[in-house]
Amino acid sequence: MDNNYLSISDILVTNEKVPCKFLHDLPKMGFLDPSAAEDDLKAGSNVEIPLWLSESLYSRRPPLVSVELPKIYKDAYREILNADACTVDMHKLGQYFYEFGCYISKHDIKGEVGSTLINTFRQRFRMLLSASVSRDSLIALQPLSASERQRASAASKTEQALLDWLHSGDCVLTTANMVANHRKRKRAEMEMV
Amino acid sequence: MFGEKVIELIKEAERNPDTMDPFNDEKLRQILEEMQLLFKMNMNDANATSENRSLWTTVQVRHAALERNKRCLLAYLYSRMNKIKTLRWEFGSVLPPDIRELLSDEEYQWFSKYSTNLATYMRSLGQDIGYSGIDLTENLKPPKSLFIEVLCVVDYGKLELEDGDVIMLKKNSRHFLPTSECQTLIRQGVLKQIT
Repeated sequence: MDNNYLSISDILVTNEKVPCKFLHDLPKMGFLDPSAAEDDLKAGSNVEIPLWLSESLYSRRPPLVSVELPKIYKDAYREILNADACTVDMHKLGQYFYEFGCYISKHDIKGEVGSTLINTFRQRFRMLLSASVSRDSLIALQPLSASERQRASAASKTEQALLDWLHSGDCVLTTANMVANHRKRKRAEMEMV
Repeated sequence: MFGEKVIELIKEAERNPDTMDPFNDEKLRQILEEMQLLFKMNMNDANATSENRSLWTTVQVRHAALERNKRCLLAYLYSRMNKIKTLRWEFGSVLPPDIRELLSDEEYQWFSKYSTNLATYMRSLGQDIGYSGIDLTENLKPPKSLFIEVLCVVDYGKLELEDGDVIMLKKNSRHFLPTSECQTLIRQGVLKQIT
């Protein structure tokens, strides 16, 4: 998993919301809870805050919040995932299911989230593989999570490169990627005007 | 809620991983203002914690937001820097004006420095065995033949070859050229190889 400080995808993962329980009073922080009318946030209130905030507050000594499991990692969803993970539309359920799960699993005392993650990936691997060789890629890619989509497109690119090489062994010189994309965009802008 | 503007910036960077976007200095300014405000509020409350102990929790929340904003801004700049690096390899050392205006002044400075560094390095290559440098941006794919047939895609103008011949590159004209002379133009999208 790519979770270094400057990784854009990791920043997006840590922007997902988690339900938390505040253990201390927070003066002037009432705006964190949209349903609260007062200026101060009281200890014991349950609020959904972004993961980056909860991670930082949880690591304080003493911790300011206790993190609860988001609903997609709770028993009800875990049962569905363990039964047949391929039926789940990850794009709708949680785009960053695996990465988010890795962060969440340390707050799961029973340690079941971790095994669910592995299980889910194991079941969905065949689906991922077929999505990456599928011709009708739009439909096949639809139910995949963000990282699964990346894997699928990388796999199909490799597959294509291998096929090209096997066919002729010749490599045609092509326009550089960024140059070509810049052209396309400029053309689109011209057409809009 | 804080840390939201900065996410818009990050999403902008994520949306187009293969193209350069205009430098968003307006949003950057807004975020820096937000950070200034958070910092000031934190200074006030941190000084007041001696009387009111309960304020330290608030200070910590704001501090987390500050660090988050910092991380996102750095990530935005870093992802742009990587793209600028690619620009040097794909567009060459002279940027077309419409690309040039997408960069901020500092970024353009960085580009020039990177370009100079790369050029110095390439010139230094192989000096010990009597070569005067190698252009690393050439031959990115193994060359298969000395001459290739190309189609000109845009009106480019005159091109002088190494043997002194001058050819006119007009749109839709076909040429049979030495690979070494035209591969840069192919990468820049002026010519297209016909197979």
